Amino acid sequence: MEQNQWRWGFNRWLVLLFIILGVVFAKRYPPIRPHVQLPAEALSHTPLFTLPVIGEFYLTNTLVALILVDVILLALAFSIRQQVKSGGKQMLKGIAGAVEALLEGLYGMTESTAGKWAKAIFPYFATIMLMVLVANWMELIPGVDSIGFLEKSAEGYVAQGPFLIKEEVAHGAEGFVVVPWVRVVSTDLNFTVALALIAVVMTQVIGVRAQGAAYFTKFWNTSTLFNKPVFGAIDFGVGLLELVSEFSKILSFSFRLFGNIFAGSVMLFVIGALVPVFAQSLILLLEAFVGIIQALVFGMLTMTFMAQATQGHGEHHEDAHA
Amino acid sequence: MDGNIVSAAKLIGAGLAMIGALGGGIGIGLSAHGAVQGIARNPDAAGTVQTNMILGIAFAEAVAIYCLVVALLILFVF
Repeated sequence: MEQNQWRWGFNRWLVLLFIILGVVFAKRYPPIRPHVQLPAEALSHTPLFTLPVIGEFYLTNTLVALILVDVILLALAFSIRQQVKSGGKQMLKGIAGAVEALLEGLYGMTESTAGKWAKAIFPYFATIMLMVLVANWMELIPGVDSIGFLEKSAEGYVAQGPFLIKEEVAHGAEGFVVVPWVRVVSTDLNFTVALALIAVVMTQVIGVRAQGAAYFTKFWNTSTLFNKPVFGAIDFGVGLLELVSEFSKILSFSFRLFGNIFAGSVMLFVIGALVPVFAQSLILLLEAFVGIIQALVFGMLTMTFMAQATQGHGEHHEDAHA
Repeated sequence: MDGNIVSAAKLIGAGLAMIGALGGGIGIGLSAHGAVQGIARNPDAAGTVQTNMILGIAFAEAVAIYCLVVALLILFVF
């Protein structure tokens, strides 16, 4: 207790010191208006390799971030695996215990929604959730999105050593912009579309595993078309709408994650440029919250859609088995 | 003040596109309203109500996010 109070008293002066340092640096190097770009920046000017139909592949900064996310997740997994193997029947401690508690909570959620299919659905849910969470929280690390190469650009700032300074570029001369080495991978539409495709395609696969070929009667529903003329036609139309909604799921999955995180990082840039001292900390708190909510939503929606796909349409089907 | 009418129209268009966030805001407010009322009546159900509320909020928010994406596309792509 006593030690806690001492540390709190010490940390208070640390916060004050950082605020004063922030004021001094903001005076010395006034923040510039950041350069916002929608597609990921290429770090190399020559393509890594070229595929015949699709085109050229560059090493983009979001790809670097994706590799970092993979490394973090693998390191976490291996360290926990080592602790589980060596610990025997002891309780897991530290990070391993926290991850165990998280996964247990997620498994309970899956079981209450999906029932006996929880074991098949849970890996997709947990993998997507952990990956998106680590990718989103990478935005909170200082230096991501702000440290990188200086590149010549038509609309930029004067470079002084490694910094860009707030000065109008002389007429005729070229300015510089920063091309960051690491940019949050969720702000690249390619990543979110890939995750959404995996989620939706695996939903169909789990649906077929649960119901066999009967799963496709959800989309091509001719069972009532001939014996009930009016309602059969309506059922058929509803089936076609289901088909459309599968495609709109891809769209909404990918744009939800991309839009939230891209808007968050643009907000971080702009607040940092407008109020360089202290204000960004509050936005960082908000972004930590948005990051975990978006990861949870992406995983939970995947899980819910998969659980729906395992159940046949219409309640009478379920009653017949029960 | 220099510039051309195209960039002015871009800024106005991006601003107009974000009007759609109104709907998402109303939807999120309504779902939180219902969830808080439900929790106040039956505090034991707080866990399930919260989970469903977050799912509903995600769906309502998606519409506002589409507006945001359109605004960002107008500003930075076209």
